Amino acid sequence: MKRQVVITGIGIVSPAGIGKDEHWKNISSGGSFVSEITKFDAGRYPSRIAGQINGNLDTAVGALNLTPLPKRLLKKIDRFSHLALMASEFAIADAKLNLDAEDKERVGVFIGNVIGGWEFAEVELRDLYAAGLKEVSPYQATAWFPAAPQGQISIYYGLLGYSQTIIADSASGLVSIGSAYRAIQEGEADVILAGGSEAPISPYGLLCCNTSGALTNRNEDPKAAYRPFDKNRDGFAIGEGAGIVILESFEHAAKRGAKIYGEITGFSMTNDGIHPTKQDVEGRQFARAMQTAIKEAGIAVDDIDYICANGSATKEGDIAETKAIKAVFGKKAYQMSISAPKSAIGNLLGAAGAVDAATTLLAMENSFVPPTVNLENKDESCDLNYTPLKGREHRMKAALVNSIGRGGVNAVMVVRG
Amino acid sequence: MSVEEIVKDVLINDIGMDDVAVSLNSRLKEDLGVDSTELVEVIAALEKKFKIKIPEGIIGLRSSVKDIVDFLNNVKVN
Repeated sequence: MKRQVVITGIGIVSPAGIGKDEHWKNISSGGSFVSEITKFDAGRYPSRIAGQINGNLDTAVGALNLTPLPKRLLKKIDRFSHLALMASEFAIADAKLNLDAEDKERVGVFIGNVIGGWEFAEVELRDLYAAGLKEVSPYQATAWFPAAPQGQISIYYGLLGYSQTIIADSASGLVSIGSAYRAIQEGEADVILAGGSEAPISPYGLLCCNTSGALTNRNEDPKAAYRPFDKNRDGFAIGEGAGIVILESFEHAAKRGAKIYGEITGFSMTNDGIHPTKQDVEGRQFARAMQTAIKEAGIAVDDIDYICANGSATKEGDIAETKAIKAVFGKKAYQMSISAPKSAIGNLLGAAGAVDAATTLLAMENSFVPPTVNLENKDESCDLNYTPLKGREHRMKAALVNSIGRGGVNAVMVVRG
Repeated sequence: MSVEEIVKDVLINDIGMDDVAVSLNSRLKEDLGVDSTELVEVIAALEKKFKIKIPEGIIGLRSSVKDIVDFLNNVKVN
């Protein structure tokens, strides 16, 4: 018999805020947190804007009465591990999870990521060519690789349980939570810190993203650049951040009297099988992922109250998502509340799906649909209610979270409040 | 700054150790928790700061801050 899996804690570090409260306040406000990249000279890049986390991370952590990471550790890790550790600390505190009281062999870590620690790695690469092998940091091997956050989190908290690093492009964060859900369902762990982290705003990281051809070039007006479903969209902006949720078996959460945000009741993944970077414009496998997840959840399509859309903001991606939603929901699609909150902060790549899932839970908790920013002129091919510009109050008992990755990955999760 | 102060500054600011933990008698591994990977960083940082090449085997996990200071003072003199 498969176990029920609930979410008991949320930790977010995003361009909209450090900590879930600041993130929620800002992402539901209708504002954009995408700006010109200033941490290095990005003048030559076709897309040179991003959702960036401003402010001193340690100060923010201290203000929340949590322990900042030791500076000795920070010198050995990349920023994406730093963000993942911070989001984990926030999530654990939010869940009031006392890890010392847990059997740590039953606590796991599932982290999604895309490009690894390039901010750290490219400095070392430069030193290799400029000054030779001896100048390369001995931490290069452990700082760069995509599984570094999984390792660092497990070391920092002494977690010994079933763990994974998931790489599925910008679906990685949602697939990570979905895989963790399956692991707890099957009894592999009782508690899992699950989510994603990404810090792609470095010269080479930005280059990797630019060469996909899917980024917006609206550099002269960064706040207006990322505009899913709008007829003047020209791609997405990237962003940095981390989102971690605490997943527990229902029994484990109930036993310790944990606050429960919601339950994961369905998860599915499919592949388009068509093109390395472009989605299937018909959204066929995307629709199948939604149908399968809803079927697993044991509910009717009419029971879904909100869809947290992927919001690619590419020409074909938004059409694909619209067609897929219509294929699944039929006429109900036109009454559905849908939005792409990542329009406010950028696509956080490996963290995107995880932050979307966490934002969806916060939307359900607050009975408020966060808006799709910059949706001023709906594309006639994207004619659903994508909650343009301004959020709205709406009671939600069940929601869908959509997350897409390059190469045709479609991931969908159902959460029940 | 004296050689001792510079060495402590490297350990505290370049390596990130707590300033209260670093004394002249602190041993790298036993007192300061340095492992073999971090030892490479410590030596590289000292070489950069003092603009010298430290021969292999001179500074090890058992070395103390005093051992490092004595070696560097000796190099300075010579």
